[in-house]
Amino acid sequence: MPFSLIVAWRYITANSLQTLLLVLGVSLSVVVFVFITALINGLSIFLTQETTSKIAHIELEPANKIASVLTNDNRFVAQPVSTLQRKQIRNWQQVIDIAQSTPGVSVISPIVDGNAFLVRGEATQPIAIQGVEPSKVDAITNISRYIIKGTAELTTGGLIIGADLADELGLLVGTPVLLKSERGPERLLPITGIFRVNLASLDKRVGFLSINVARPLFELPDGITSLGLKVDNPADAPAIAMVLQNSTQLKSTPWQEKNKSLQDATDAQGRTGNFIQGFALLAIVISIASALLLSTYRRRAEIGIMRATGISRQFVATVFILQGVFIGALGAFLGAAAGYQLCVQLASITKADGSAMLPIAPSEGSYMLVIILTIVGSALAAVLPARSASSVDPVEAIQQ
Amino acid sequence: MTNTLLFANNIIKTFRNGEHETCVLKGINLSIPHGKMMALQGASGSGKSTLLNILGLLMRPTSGELRLLDHSLINLSDAQLSTYRNQHLGFVFQYHNLLPDFTALENVAFPAAAPTGRLTSEIKKRALLLLDKVGLSHRSHFLASQLSGGQKQRVAIARSLINNPKLVFADEPTGNLDQDSAKQVMNLLRDINQTDNTTFLISTHDNSVAANCDDIVRIVDGKIAGV
Repeated sequence: MPFSLIVAWRYITANSLQTLLLVLGVSLSVVVFVFITALINGLSIFLTQETTSKIAHIELEPANKIASVLTNDNRFVAQPVSTLQRKQIRNWQQVIDIAQSTPGVSVISPIVDGNAFLVRGEATQPIAIQGVEPSKVDAITNISRYIIKGTAELTTGGLIIGADLADELGLLVGTPVLLKSERGPERLLPITGIFRVNLASLDKRVGFLSINVARPLFELPDGITSLGLKVDNPADAPAIAMVLQNSTQLKSTPWQEKNKSLQDATDAQGRTGNFIQGFALLAIVISIASALLLSTYRRRAEIGIMRATGISRQFVATVFILQGVFIGALGAFLGAAAGYQLCVQLASITKADGSAMLPIAPSEGSYMLVIILTIVGSALAAVLPARSASSVDPVEAIQQ
Repeated sequence: MTNTLLFANNIIKTFRNGEHETCVLKGINLSIPHGKMMALQGASGSGKSTLLNILGLLMRPTSGELRLLDHSLINLSDAQLSTYRNQHLGFVFQYHNLLPDFTALENVAFPAAAPTGRLTSEIKKRALLLLDKVGLSHRSHFLASQLSGGQKQRVAIARSLINNPKLVFADEPTGNLDQDSAKQVMNLLRDINQTDNTTFLISTHDNSVAANCDDIVRIVDGKIAGV
């Protein structure tokens, strides 16, 4: 074993209480780092999961029509393209085949959607209708999980609406309600289910119908308005969307594009976390630097005798840097273990409904990162004390 | 081949304190031959310690020439002077200056182990031999803080010898010891001088210590008054 290691270890074990306090101080900062990292990452995962579990990861819909100028017999002719053409996907079965063969796509749901009004007596409320295949009612949004009254069954030709909308119109399961499509047709439908997702945009404005009921209401006997897709990993949605856009020529929108505010929020959280992590590391560096600086003053005479006997400045500096590394490594491993335990304990605390009290992710504590940063930071913190120790004048130190 | 081990020629040392300059050594000429045991005596403030520090390469003179083993040392870098101190010189101080958190064996081995980076079995063996020579092999695993004053000074003597130095500087080596311990230490230094032909320059106020040496160098007001 290198002699400098032996000397450094002897120095930090010589005053075990001081070293213990120093290691505990470093550990505490590491615990703060791990806790904040696990909490912020956990919160980001929670928000992303909450969002992506309720929406399509990718939406395929017809591209917008753009008027173009065409040439005819070497003469420029302005030929307007009709913008009155109905937007729909006629060859949706082929698109489904392409999507099914695309790696990473897990669920595909054809949708006929449109705007409508629910009319009950004198009361009218707008509603965004999603016409889906009854077997795929849970494919995009797991509506069954959020049903609070009735069922998520669509085969009987009923309508599922959000709780807020039901409250506004005083609708109960079994109550018939008139649905007037934006395209004119209307139909009396029974309410078969009421859900509460706790997203106002869904609970107040969205209703689900069987696609076969939706077709005549929105006058789409063959086509569909869009395809909703789920992918295995929501983070891969932009790349898969790009592949699908190229292969189908349809407009392909990943969920991230429609939820930019979520991304902004998680980014802001991440930046806040970086500040707290930075302060935790700064606390480590300052505590180690100050403790080792004090040690250089306390051991001034010893350093002087080393220098007098011809021991190099480099050896003295190495001893102090190694002390910093030892303290940093001990504190880092102890703090990482304690931080993990703390996160596990906090993650196990649940609310009355069984959900976690804190959206903390113990596996997302960036343990390797904090261990490396702490050890490197500790070594850097020891540089100033090491320089101070190595520049001790042996004559002055021995005479003290 | 010359018999001179260390040669000092017209060594001048001036300390500056703001505008005020104090000349402590005023042209020291001194030749220390191989194998001698020499005493350095002088009143407090005569420049004795400063001369010892300059000869021991712990301090640079303001001017003058200094040669060890016929090599000029004046223009060497700090790192080169450290290497010279480590390989050719030994030091024994009044307050032993052992490292309290290390054993007697480790203290003795330190000047050999640190430059090589390893506490090898050869270094340990030699350290143990030296501890045996100073009568402390049975205390080799005691921490320095667990030894008596006389024992600590004997460990310091063993430490000064670990790298087979040509010249050992001892600054009041008995100044902090009782009469019996002081006598033991002086007998030990004389024994090492005679058996290993190690040269000693001992700074002392004690006339009985000086009387045990081959030569006495007297310094008065920064000048050699006589040998």
